[in-house]
Amino acid sequence: MPSEAVTEEGSNSGASAVRYEGATKRYGDSSVAAVDALTLEVPAGEICVLVGPSGCGKTTAMRMVNRMVEISEGDILIGGESVRNRDAARLRREVGYVIQQVGLFPHRTIAENIAAVPQLLGWKKERTEARTAELIELIGLDPELGERYPAQLSGGQQQRVGVARALAADPLVMLMDEPFGAIDPISRERLQNEFLRLQAEIGKTVLFVTHDIDEAIKMGDRIAVMREGGKVAQYATPAEILMDPADEFVEDFVGADRALKRLALMRVSDIDLWEAPLAYVGQPTAEVRAKLATPEVEVPYPLLVDSERRPLGWLSERDLRADVVPSRPDSPLGPLLDRDDIMRDALADLLQGEAQYAAVVDREGRIDGVLSVEIISEFLGSPEAKKEEHGAVERPHG
Amino acid sequence: MANGVLLAATGEVGKGFIQERSSDTLPCQATDKLFCWEWASEHIDRYATPTLQHLELVAISVLIGFIVAFTLALLAHRHHWLQPPLLAGTGVLYTIPSVAFFFLLLPLTGRGEDTAIIALSAYTLQIIFRNTMVGFANVPKAVVDAARGMGQTDRQILWRVELPLATPEIFAGLQVATVSTVAIATLAAFAGGGGLGEPILKGGISFKTNLIIAGGIAFLIAVILGLVLFAVQRFLTPWQRARQA
Amino acid sequence: MATREAGVIGALLLNPPLASIQGAIEFIFTPQTSNVTGGKTVGGIDQVIELTLSQLELTVFALALSLVVAMPIGLYLGHRGTGELFATVIGNAGRAIPELALIAFMAALIGVGVLNLTIALAVLGIPPLLTNAFVGIHQVDRAAVDAARGMGMTEFEILRKVEIPLAIPTLFAGIRSATIAIVATATIAPIAGVLTLGDFIINQNVYGDNGVLAGAILVALLALTLEFGLASLQRRLTSKGLKLKPA
Repeated sequence: MPSEAVTEEGSNSGASAVRYEGATKRYGDSSVAAVDALTLEVPAGEICVLVGPSGCGKTTAMRMVNRMVEISEGDILIGGESVRNRDAARLRREVGYVIQQVGLFPHRTIAENIAAVPQLLGWKKERTEARTAELIELIGLDPELGERYPAQLSGGQQQRVGVARALAADPLVMLMDEPFGAIDPISRERLQNEFLRLQAEIGKTVLFVTHDIDEAIKMGDRIAVMREGGKVAQYATPAEILMDPADEFVEDFVGADRALKRLALMRVSDIDLWEAPLAYVGQPTAEVRAKLATPEVEVPYPLLVDSERRPLGWLSERDLRADVVPSRPDSPLGPLLDRDDIMRDALADLLQGEAQYAAVVDREGRIDGVLSVEIISEFLGSPEAKKEEHGAVERPHG
Repeated sequence: MANGVLLAATGEVGKGFIQERSSDTLPCQATDKLFCWEWASEHIDRYATPTLQHLELVAISVLIGFIVAFTLALLAHRHHWLQPPLLAGTGVLYTIPSVAFFFLLLPLTGRGEDTAIIALSAYTLQIIFRNTMVGFANVPKAVVDAARGMGQTDRQILWRVELPLATPEIFAGLQVATVSTVAIATLAAFAGGGGLGEPILKGGISFKTNLIIAGGIAFLIAVILGLVLFAVQRFLTPWQRARQA
Repeated sequence: MATREAGVIGALLLNPPLASIQGAIEFIFTPQTSNVTGGKTVGGIDQVIELTLSQLELTVFALALSLVVAMPIGLYLGHRGTGELFATVIGNAGRAIPELALIAFMAALIGVGVLNLTIALAVLGIPPLLTNAFVGIHQVDRAAVDAARGMGMTEFEILRKVEIPLAIPTLFAGIRSATIAIVATATIAPIAGVLTLGDFIINQNVYGDNGVLAGAILVALLALTLEFGLASLQRRLTSKGLKLKPA
């Protein structure tokens, strides 16, 4: 039973599978269904994205899970239990609900907003306060913002509070309806990345609705592409949808730039990076020149690193004329990439920085290798690229 | 001039109440009937003068009230610091019950129509003032911005952009003010201002037919004027009609 | 017209208003011998208090009755989002009711006395309460209501915890409107046999000019005090979050 999963203070452990079994929604006497016999299973702990054009029924399908839209025929099961058997209000207290306009209560503080569902469930005060503080930290907000009111927060901050509010009672399923839709693109990307990072930690079952195929590919472990009339055109992993669209509708919806989109599924670490000759501060330049001279060198410029092998910049000819390696490099570092970066973002950074080479570091900031546009295009053409991408659990975070 | 403008329930004499009766209404008034049709059809012309007086009171009061309130609103639109005091000031005038207002004015303007008009106008001020301000506030900033960017002067913007767009709200205020004034003008009789309140006061609360006719006319006038103003407002704002279409 | 103005100004010059105000204040505090109805004692602080309380009592009863009738209907309709036409029509019709006719007619219909008059006054108070309750609740941010429903609040909890707090300004505007209308009409309650401060005004024969002015002043003060009290109450009940300007 769902409530048992919530006994531990601050636990983020519970997640249930969601199964649609021929779920149908008809309005009035209409013979045309808004959602037509939807049948699919979302495994526990995965993000399933419902994507499709306006009016395809994706939002309706999502809202049937917590019965904000009543089911006409068929059923939906959460953790094996039918949602139709339960009292609607009580059901909703166990399902996180995030909507596009957020809907924070203007007359309550941020902390009170987040504490809304725990209060409905009758949690004790200390437990609620602890959980609220934990969540404020989890969503990356300053603790003192807890006493502010929604009107005092930016759009992006409000959106985060909306997510925190949905997570407060540790639900087994999260429903998110275009949660990042009303935000500017920069904040949106940041929020997406943060949510993915969050998901990697807490692993909820998430039903995510969007009309943006790129967002679907980025966020989803599985994607359900829906067409008008509430039917599923294809339900598969992002890789399958990109490489193997089920029909013309899916193909059109995904767009002509499928190859480019596939870059969104890979991490920089999926590729064999090139190596640049490393130069340490104070090292005799003769040694560096010697490294450069070796025939196997892939990158013709030495990379200046500190004692921890953290990149500081690129060395030029002029730098190498000195006796020892200077502490200040001639050329700035340029774009700096992370091993775990999504390939598409990495390519964008490279092109943006107008750099030929970009240093790639690991989580501690230590040099891992060098990426260039050439490497990427070589890789895309190679047979390895056509293999299965990484699975759901190892979502990259950026 | 003190006049016997007081009445008492038939048979009850309270402290200092004076009863007034006119002999030809005795038959209908004496009965307890709710409505005497015969009397009504015979004496309906009695209500002509009070009705006209009533309409006159309302028309003049609303006109004066509108002119004053609208002017104040235009001023407050230009000089924002005026808004709180004006809002408060008109609010006070709105809160004071009209009957009291009539008699506060008494030492200054005496009994009669003028007193009634002043008090009724004062009552309308807050409604019209506030609605006009809200009307201005509801004009989308983007539109004003675009107009300014086009090179229109402040005055042009006011007359060509802001006022037309604020019209629905202003008219709503006018409608409320008018309907309310018709209702309150029945009290003008206390100040000697005439209107439909007078037959009510003269007739006494036992004379139900009279009450129904006089009160009914007042109510009908209010409703009709309200609808007429509503129709005028819809006529003046075709873009709203288009939206509904 | 011109001669009348001259007459008024002349009267003003000969009888400066200040004298009347002084007389009015005297009337309020010390009983006077009425020179009109042959030596009866009128005025004085006791009578003032008695009539003030009477008017307050009438106002409070009528307001309470109006609230009990109008609020449930208005809140319910506003929450469901139906009955907008009904609420609007009631609001408009309520404004059109002529107060004098209402009091007189109600007194004739159901008799005189505090209880019956309370019902008459409640008829005046119900329309603004109902309309404002509807509008206030109906205009609450839909997203907040959706979120509240989605997080598992029952319909009643949504009304209580989200819609009403957010609608307080509009709700209170209705309460203030209703109170003003009721207080104003309670002033003329004496014509239906219930004595209130309005008696001073209406019965000039008994109370004299000073009494009339005193009555007018007292009624005005009463109305303003109630309005001020309600405004303060509203301020205290409105959530801080609603009064803030966006960051």
